[in-house]
Amino acid sequence: MGKEGEWHPISLSESVESGTSAGVQLLGRELVVWRDSAGAAHTWEDRCPHRGMRLSFGFVRNDRIACLYHGWQYDTGGQCRYIPAHPDLVVPETIKVPVYAVREQYGMIWTALEGDPALPFRSEDSDGTVPVRSLYLDCSSNSALDALRTASLDPFQQSMVAEAQFRALGGNLYALSNGAHTLVIGIQTISETRTALHIAISGSAKRYAGAGQLHFLRWANDLRGRALKPAASNLHTAAQLSAGAR
Amino acid sequence: MPITLYDFELDESCYKVRLTLSILGLKWQTVAVDVFPGKEHLTPSFLAMNPLGRLPILKDSGLTLHEPEAILAYLARAYDPAGLWLPASPDEFGQAMQWLIFAARDLDVAIAARQHMLFGGPGDAGALHDGARKVLDVMEDHMIERGFAAAEWFAASNPTVADIALFPAFALSRDFGIDHGEFPALRRWSRRFRKLPGFITMPGIPHYC
Repeated sequence: MGKEGEWHPISLSESVESGTSAGVQLLGRELVVWRDSAGAAHTWEDRCPHRGMRLSFGFVRNDRIACLYHGWQYDTGGQCRYIPAHPDLVVPETIKVPVYAVREQYGMIWTALEGDPALPFRSEDSDGTVPVRSLYLDCSSNSALDALRTASLDPFQQSMVAEAQFRALGGNLYALSNGAHTLVIGIQTISETRTALHIAISGSAKRYAGAGQLHFLRWANDLRGRALKPAASNLHTAAQLSAGAR
Repeated sequence: MPITLYDFELDESCYKVRLTLSILGLKWQTVAVDVFPGKEHLTPSFLAMNPLGRLPILKDSGLTLHEPEAILAYLARAYDPAGLWLPASPDEFGQAMQWLIFAARDLDVAIAARQHMLFGGPGDAGALHDGARKVLDVMEDHMIERGFAAAEWFAASNPTVADIALFPAFALSRDFGIDHGEFPALRRWSRRFRKLPGFITMPGIPHYC
């Protein structure tokens, strides 16, 4: 099974409001993620079959997304249902956008580019999650993972400082804990050189909304600073120093 | 004499002024200036109004003003007696000024990136793109944090001239190759902004919300 057949997080759930769309990139492919007026999320290829316009530039009306270019409307199955220039036309079944499997777990929207495999992690706790932010990093997903493995995590509202624990929850989902507090982190491989981390707090809004979110936002912003620090140039400096010593 | 705006339709700084005039419900007359390709804004009569050779220029009852953020602040002070768009309280006034200055100084790189892409303006495309992304990140970070405090606008509990000054750079970012996908907090803010009474678009900002 290639990476296409895995589940990948592509957004925090709260980032795509009902009736809106956004463009995302996954494994070098362009996708549109949109939420219909009933609240269901959809991920498709980000291209109108008519003229290739990105559907993420379009607009959602009830349970359809319409292309910004000529207003062709697609239903939740990706099937074109209405062409404004030919209002009486029964649209042929062949005018269809490729659609992908989608799930929402841990406060993130997940998609698989091939098939509809089982989720590789257990379902989230009944308390749910509280969103922090998505971080977009100019590095590979392996480098992002390395930054997470060595990351510290200041505890929230507790005096006892425990060591941060980083662990895999399955697939592209990870957890970083300190004491009673756990961040869940979904890793999205945008391309070989760009990675998104979707970060949420495991627990209830009652406990974490506001101050808790702000605490872990600061942590996330610090992580971005560290992950983007060019490690290669440090090595370069070390090599120069040792060359100088010789 | 009605308010007169010396305007170039494709200029986002002129758009800031048009937005403000429209949102404040004012009547104004527009003088269309042939900036591209005519360079009319660099002719002696324009340099007499603004020696820096830039638009927009606003004339109102004997006053001639340039610099879009100054014009926005002037219009708010002159025509918004409720004092919402340029808040009076020191805290909110200070924050509105902070973001107005950010719009005038730091967002300059986004204007330059767009000029480069659309009109072949000076600069290195890669450096302008990276610089523009960095300042949009600053805006995104701020609005994520505002969201945690249930605040919907940049500087105050209501929209201010700071939101108007910041809107075009984000709304037009696709013109210089930065999609909105990675800026969810700015997407939410932008949707709220589009719903303001008196909101108008400009070329490059689709009319659908």
